[in-house]
Order: sequence, then C-alpha cells, then structure tokens
Amino acid sequence: MNLPVSSNPVTQRVHWDLNYDIHLGATWGRFMAGLRQKQILANRCPDCGRTFVPPQPYCEACFVPTGEWVELGQEGTVEAFTVAWQSFRGGPQPPYAIAAVRLDGADTLLMHYVQGLDLSDPNAVREQLPAGSRVRAIWSPERLGQILDIAHFEKI
Amino acid sequence: MPRPAFIAGAGITAATSPRKQTSSATELVQEAVWKALEHANASADSLDGLVIGNIDGFEGTVLGAKHLVRGLGLSPDLPVTVLNTGGTTGGNLMQVAARQVRAGDRERVLCIGGPTFYGAEDLQAAINTNSPMVVEQPLGMGAYHMGAFYPSAYQELYGTTVEDFAVSAVQDHAHAARNPLAHLRNELTIEDVVQSRPLSSPMTMAMVCPVSTSANALLITSEAGAVSTRPTPVLIRAMGTSSDPYLGGGKSDFAFMENLAILARRVYAQAGITDPRAQFDVVEVFSPYAPMQPMQLEALGFAAPGTGIELIRSGATRIDGEVPVNLSGGPLCTNAGVAGELAPCVYVALQLMGDAPPDIQVDGARLGLAHGTGGSFFQFENLAVLERHDRS
Repeated sequence: MNLPVSSNPVTQRVHWDLNYDIHLGATWGRFMAGLRQKQILANRCPDCGRTFVPPQPYCEACFVPTGEWVELGQEGTVEAFTVAWQSFRGGPQPPYAIAAVRLDGADTLLMHYVQGLDLSDPNAVREQLPAGSRVRAIWSPERLGQILDIAHFEKI
Repeated sequence: MPRPAFIAGAGITAATSPRKQTSSATELVQEAVWKALEHANASADSLDGLVIGNIDGFEGTVLGAKHLVRGLGLSPDLPVTVLNTGGTTGGNLMQVAARQVRAGDRERVLCIGGPTFYGAEDLQAAINTNSPMVVEQPLGMGAYHMGAFYPSAYQELYGTTVEDFAVSAVQDHAHAARNPLAHLRNELTIEDVVQSRPLSSPMTMAMVCPVSTSANALLITSEAGAVSTRPTPVLIRAMGTSSDPYLGGGKSDFAFMENLAILARRVYAQAGITDPRAQFDVVEVFSPYAPMQPMQLEALGFAAPGTGIELIRSGATRIDGEVPVNLSGGPLCTNAGVAGELAPCVYVALQLMGDAPPDIQVDGARLGLAHGTGGSFFQFENLAVLERHDRS
C-alpha cells in the first residue's frame, strides 16, 4: 500500500436522533397544570419556610418533603441576565436575553427569556436591564403545560 | 486518619484542535498512560486499579470509557471504576482513586483523563442536553450562556467592565505561551479580548475556552506504592467536593461563588490552611471562562469579594508573583473535557515534583491547590490541597 498518509480519512460522522418522555411527577405535574391556567404555583419547605419556584418535591437543604402550595404573583425582579449573541444547533435565533427572575414571594430564581429589549448594540445591553428591573410574565396564547406556556417576561 | 495517598507520576499529551487531531481517543489515551507510567517509572503490571471517566452524550457514546480501557493493553484483570459527573469528572477521578488507596483496598491506581470534547459537531448543543430538562433546557442555554450569568451579576454589584474581565484572559494566554503542552499559545491584549466576537454578554469569544483534544493520566499510590517510583511523591493532603442545587435558579447569588467558598473552608480546615495567599506556592483553578477566575480567587480566599481582578492586575498571580495562578494557561487555553478537568491536578502535581515544563516551573514549590468545577450552572466543585513529600 503506497497511499499518502494525508489521504487517510480522519473522522466519520455519527448521528443520534432520539426522543424521550420525561415523567414530571406529582410536583412538576401540578406546576405545569398551573401554567396552563396562567397560574405560577410554588411550594414551601415546612422547616426553613423557603418558597420554591419551580416547586420541589422536597427541600434540598432540610431533607424534608415540601408541603404547602402557594400561587405567586406574575411579576418579579431580574437578578442576573445574559444576552446570547450566538446560539447552537436547535436553539433559539440570537440575539435573545435570558434572565434569572426573583418572582415576588419566591426564594429561588426562575430562569426565562426576557423580550421587548433593544438588543441592537452589544455594548449597551446592560442599560436595557439595570439593577432592580421589574418584569412581568407574558403568557403564550396556546398553553400545553410546559415552561414555555410563559412565552417570556417583559419589562414593566 | 486513613492512610495517606500520593501522586507518584503524571503524563500529559500535547493539545490540538479537533480539526488538527489525527489520533483516535484510544491512541491519545494510550499515549498519556505510557507517559504517566514512564514518568513514575512504574510498570503496567504493578497497577491494581483504573479510574476513568466520560461524559455521556459528548462523545456519541454511553460509557465509552469502559470500552476504551480494554484496548489499552493493561491487564484484563484490573478493576475499572468509571465516573460520569459531567464537567467535574476529571477532578473526581483523582479523588476517587485517592479514596480507594486511602481505604487500603489498592496500592497503585491509574486515573485516566480522556479527550471528551472530541467529536461533537456543536458542543453547545450537546451541553444543552445536560441542562435541567423540562424547566431550563428549553431556554436556549449552552455552557457559556450559563457561565455568563456570573460575570453579569458581578458587573451589577461592582460596576466591573468588559475590559476588567479581559485581564484574566490576557494573563492565561501569557502563561499558555510558555507552556508547550497548551493548545492556544497566542498572546492577547485587552483590546483583542474586548474586540473579539460577542458570545453571551458580557463574554466575548476570547473569554471562552477552545474545544481541545488531549489526554492525561495520574498515578495515585499508597506510601508503599511510591517507594520505587521516580519523581518526588506529592501527598494529597486534603480534598473534597461540594454541590449546589441542580437548577440554575437554585443559586442564591450569581455574584459570589458561595458553594466554592463553603468547600474551601472545609478543605482548608482539613489541611491546616489559614492564610491561602501566604501558604500556597502554586494554584490551578478551572476557569474555562475568563471572568470565573477572579471570582474563584475570591471564593478561595486569595482576594476579598470584588477584588479578584485587582489581584490579577497586581502581578501577584504571575510566575514571579506571590501566588502564581494557572501557569499552564488553564482551561481557557486548553480544554479537552475530562482531561481538561484533571489537568489542574496534573499541573499542580508536576509543579510540586519539580517536573513542570521548564518555562512554567515555580522554583521550590511545596504546597499547591488544584480546583475543578462543572455540571449545570457549575453546580459541582472539587478541590485538592497537594504537598511535595521529600523522601527521607
């Protein structure tokens, strides 16, 4: 064999295309059912009293099952955010903003999109969501019991 | 106190981009294994355990590491432990091997860091599949989008600019330029970093690690297992891991790496570290995104909150500084997945043995800190305090 080494194939493409059905369980099932009704449901730890959204079946800090359910308001404060200028295969069309929102009455943060911002200048995005920015959930007209039933948040 | 575990040898291959890499994963790992055994002056048949890792989905395989080890030509009787803890797998390899030795079950365990970012056509898409399903995965986040939340919150608190964050990228590249085993070895200016393509605010492409291919291996032994090895052994003086909640929204504050600070307190207490800046001679932190480094240095007690960038700017973290950090160039310049996560342990061990590449060797280094982090929103942290153990 006298093939030049440079002609050896170096890689070969492998492809995965698999669907999965993830069981939501009682806690996230109830949360998703709430979203269909335009309700943001949270639950509380009976020991430390923290309020979780998305809700949790147990408290990771206290190691006890969560109990009481509460409906939160649909407004909150942006605690941190990023504007994605690049996405990935199968991801949203950039640019888009993703924020960690502290809903009023919640002790955890809810991650979600924030729309209605002017993202034309990469150097000016901080002014679009200054510290303490208030946002409100905007509902998708067609709700299927999934996190994107909240289409996105918008600045108030 | 269990019996101590030591690092008795280390091997590391040169790094390249996937495009330039012509070796298979098996061939690269084999090279790292041979190098580690040669460095330790240990024979393959003296091993009594292997610890190897992979990250499901990143390599187009499930449990790929299990199949990979069989092809290495080591004994078919060797017990193999496969770890799969996402981006922290590499640091955990060393800790699991050390615990097997400390427990008295094994004398010479080889841990192997493979090239996990090898083939994914779009790594951010693969990483998105590791995002918390159902509630966060649909929100358009790959690894660097998650990583961007930290500097964004830090900016809000301290008024930090993109130019400020660029300081750590400039330093990592200056260090990598001296490390022949690094992947990206070009020097950068602040201007270069700021002007590079915006990826996820406030991070630009120059603040984000490359996809590298390389492999490495560490030999972990008991004291008896290190009697006949060649390099000066390195004592694993203390180590630990810690986890945050799984959901990104479970973080209490993106502007401070609280989980790492808690872990540091625990590991420092085990090791008797009361003044990290004065005590450590060499540090490698896992900062694949440049802004993470100053925040990690704050959580690790090298700088007060809000002053990590000042510490880097002062020159204290350079090779001739008080506490050299990431002289390897860190994961910002070389990140091959599991091998990238094991690399901080490998480089700190080589520094303490006196066997680091000459241009990055810290003279007389005795005590070092190796850090790793990964998982969704970097929820896992691992830390090890390593100490040169001169033979009597």
